[in-house]
Amino acid sequence: MSKDLVSDRALERLLARVLSMGTWLGSAAIAIGLVMQCMGWGRVMSTVTCVRTSSIGIALFIFLPILRVLLMAIAFVRMRDVMFSVMAVVVLAVIGMAAFMGMRLN
Amino acid sequence: MPHTGFTLWLLAVSIGASAVGGTLGMAGGIFIVPALTVFGGLDIHAAVAASIVSVIACSCGSAASFLTSSLTNIRLAITLEVATTSGALTGVLLANRLPASSLCALFAAVLLVSAWQMLGRRREFAHDAEQTHASDWATVLRLHSSYPDQALGRSVFYRVRRLHLGLALMYGAGLISALLGIGSGVLKIPAMDSALRLPIKVSSATSNFMIGVTAAASGVAYFIHGDMQPAIAGPVAFGSVVGAWLGARLLMVIPSDKLRLVFVVVLVALAAQMLMTAVGFHPVAHAA
Repeated sequence: MSKDLVSDRALERLLARVLSMGTWLGSAAIAIGLVMQCMGWGRVMSTVTCVRTSSIGIALFIFLPILRVLLMAIAFVRMRDVMFSVMAVVVLAVIGMAAFMGMRLN
Repeated sequence: MPHTGFTLWLLAVSIGASAVGGTLGMAGGIFIVPALTVFGGLDIHAAVAASIVSVIACSCGSAASFLTSSLTNIRLAITLEVATTSGALTGVLLANRLPASSLCALFAAVLLVSAWQMLGRRREFAHDAEQTHASDWATVLRLHSSYPDQALGRSVFYRVRRLHLGLALMYGAGLISALLGIGSGVLKIPAMDSALRLPIKVSSATSNFMIGVTAAASGVAYFIHGDMQPAIAGPVAFGSVVGAWLGARLLMVIPSDKLRLVFVVVLVALAAQMLMTAVGFHPVAHAA
């Protein structure tokens, strides 16, 4: 088995763990927010708290694929794979531009 | 904040849409956006933003099993993601400039193409390494790979072909994903199967892996811009994760060929509803 393939398999296992764990965390945060809202806890605590808890889950979900690309960029740099390190950084830069556009859009 | 009844309706719709999508091997966004606009009475921009989170959630939730089965080509994915995220960036720029009626009409067209694709079978090309001419780009980037085929009991080698065509189609897929809040299987399937000529298992796994990053590119813009309403996006995302989990299990017990025909009819009916919404005619009572 080539060195590339061995490193890729280790990266695949790491990404699988991160994505799986992130999905659980994001789902749990949204579920807690929904339960608080549906049980009427918004009246006792504050509606903002229920919405914020769901927002944390949503933000986690949006951040998860970005974290995945970041981990891939770090792994490719460690493998001294210039071409794929550059591509991962370009993908991160495009996402960064999208975030900037979100701030500037009317 | 919407009332509890509407939250439960959002949860039920997302679970149903995602379970059906999962059973047919597609993302649930294609059912979620029409359901939210036609039956939920939501503005299409709000529905797209909510659906984008559900697309990310489904992609992340199912990626782990594909990765551990070594079906995902992660090097090909990051290469194609340069094109899909660039397309998504263009989509974000266009989304606020296009009127809701144009987005509804475009969605109707995507639904009709999806119905047409669902009627046909995905074609598996031969993967004989000796008889094919590898794309130069794909060879330089070392994108050719292999996957373990459990039925054959051995690894199957495959070559990635016509990368330039795949990249062009992926740019379009990213654009459509950002505009309509869907996974864009309508363009990804021809790109992965016909242009790149990947084995169907590798194509499905790699496409699913890429969908999350593509959707995150537009999702981050919509989130920061404030288009994403947590009270709507929350139940839709959670329902989609539950629905995708259910769909994967239903896939084992329900004959998908019969289901496929039923949903061709559903897709055509949704396309008709979206066209009516595009021209400002609302024949259905809203749940909100």
